[in-house]
Amino acid sequence: LDEQFCQIEDLQDEASPNFAEEVVSLFFKDSARLMTNIEQAIEKNPRDFNRWDAHMQQLKGSCSSIGASRMKNECTSFRNSCGDENDEGCMRSLQKLKREHGVLRQKLGSYFQLLQQAGPAETATRPRGA
Amino acid sequence: LVMKNLLKLFGALEIVDLFILFAVSPMAFKNQRSVPSALVIEDIKVDCVILLRMLQKLNCEATVARNGKEAVGLFLQGKTFDIVFSDKDMPVMTGPEAVAKIRAMGITDVKIVGISADFGGMEAFMQAGADVFVPKPMKLETLDSIVQEVIHKKNMSI
Repeated sequence: LDEQFCQIEDLQDEASPNFAEEVVSLFFKDSARLMTNIEQAIEKNPRDFNRWDAHMQQLKGSCSSIGASRMKNECTSFRNSCGDENDEGCMRSLQKLKREHGVLRQKLGSYFQLLQQAGPAETATRPRGA
Repeated sequence: LVMKNLLKLFGALEIVDLFILFAVSPMAFKNQRSVPSALVIEDIKVDCVILLRMLQKLNCEATVARNGKEAVGLFLQGKTFDIVFSDKDMPVMTGPEAVAKIRAMGITDVKIVGISADFGGMEAFMQAGADVFVPKPMKLETLDSIVQEVIHKKNMSI
């Protein structure tokens, strides 16, 4: 995660105390759907790199919006492979992307669980950039 | 009787000018205190939710369109906005396509901000008639300065 995630957390307040968790939950729903779209595009439209790239661009946007920097980097790698018309490169990037997606989901799940256990005081005193 | 007294007071002013003066002034006063209205054109829910939250923090009212066609439809219905934030790549109609159509309708006073994770989007948006391009992810500080500019311009025009 990069600094953008801190921006998301900074949007929380008393009126929306769980905004970050809600956004993350929405991200994982959206990103799972987008990755399914990409896989279907690969299956149904072999070597249609423009189409694959268009799908991946959407996912990249979402990743950057919540600060998922490793996923965003894999999206970029996939898009570069599309530009090179390298379908093997695309497949490798997609597999890495799926792995990063799983790791991030797990880590953020643990993070929000810890926050809930710690309570509001811990959230208020969280050092910026941590 | 009111109009007769007004004519005495304002001399050569046309009645229609007086009507505009007294009809618009209360509205202008109201608008001076009204919050800025924003249209968000975005199909990706995560991105939409984040931008809406930021606009909420900046005390902006926001309406959402899921693609360019919906956005154009709102303008065709006569809806007005102070500022439009548009994503680039959307189904049905893209952001630049929508911006071009909105400008072609003669809507030149609304500030249009193109947003995209694709830096290549800047050219497409600016050619279509957007006022500014901001790369995703947009920061709250950047959004704040854009909104403040719109508020300032709105207050100056009253």
